[in-house]
Amino acid sequence: FASDNQGLDEVDDTDDLDPVAEREAWKERELARLRRARQELEQEEAEKEEIENRRQMNERELTRQDQEKIEQERKAKSERHKAG
Amino acid sequence: MSDRYIVDRGIVHGAKSIHDINPATLIEKIVRERIYESLYWKEQCFGLDAATLCDKAVDLQFIGGHYANQRVSPFLCLTFKLIQLQPEEEIILEYLNQLDFKYLRAIAAFYVRLFFPAEHVYSLLEPLLQDYRKLRLRTTSSVKLTYMDEFVDSLLTGTRVCDTTLPRLPKRIALEDMGKLEPYKSPLESDSDSDSDSESGGE
Repeated sequence: FASDNQGLDEVDDTDDLDPVAEREAWKERELARLRRARQELEQEEAEKEEIENRRQMNERELTRQDQEKIEQERKAKSERHKAG
Repeated sequence: MSDRYIVDRGIVHGAKSIHDINPATLIEKIVRERIYESLYWKEQCFGLDAATLCDKAVDLQFIGGHYANQRVSPFLCLTFKLIQLQPEEEIILEYLNQLDFKYLRAIAAFYVRLFFPAEHVYSLLEPLLQDYRKLRLRTTSSVKLTYMDEFVDSLLTGTRVCDTTLPRLPKRIALEDMGKLEPYKSPLESDSDSDSDSESGGE
């Protein structure tokens, strides 16, 4: 298995070489996970809210909102075009 | 007789089906074939039982799926052995909750994710998010450093880990809404709460 373990030594998996730094690094990761979870939740709520809002609108308002959205997307697209 | 003709190697005979399929089929066919071809399987995994498997898992040096020209990792070999053995739930939990051997723990976590019901997956694996020990992750191209919490997080949120497609896991929020799970409480949250308190107090 000599060639089999090639490259393994380059990555050291020994723990507690620097406990404080390792814990700090973990904190970063945990916070990133919490942030991600919160973002997902917010996104879901925003979606639900939009659905609820649109349900209460009448035909005219719906069309207007759609138009606005299309307009916005077109603008964003053309700007991207310019940038690209 | 004809229905006992073996067309698929590695099928666990007499095992209770999990997720309504034979447990062995959770490991993909091609991976199973490569496991059977691998030297590690032939040399090291013959005749293992739930106790001697620990000795092998202790010697593991990395996690991963395939590496170097499509060899399968010993990690997957041992996981597959565990699938064939179908040990009692307590044995898996013992693997999972011991703190001395991180690679054994990684195997158990992987096994739990593959075979346990969704609410147990969350309740058993989430405590491992606090385990920040280092693990080597070996892929086809390189050896990388990862951590137990990252590995477990990928098990909980990813769809494909260690070249194995994980069974579908409902979102945490869905299980919370059904009342099967309590909201996740991070050990950091008490810290950050007091932080935000002090911030708002300062304003």
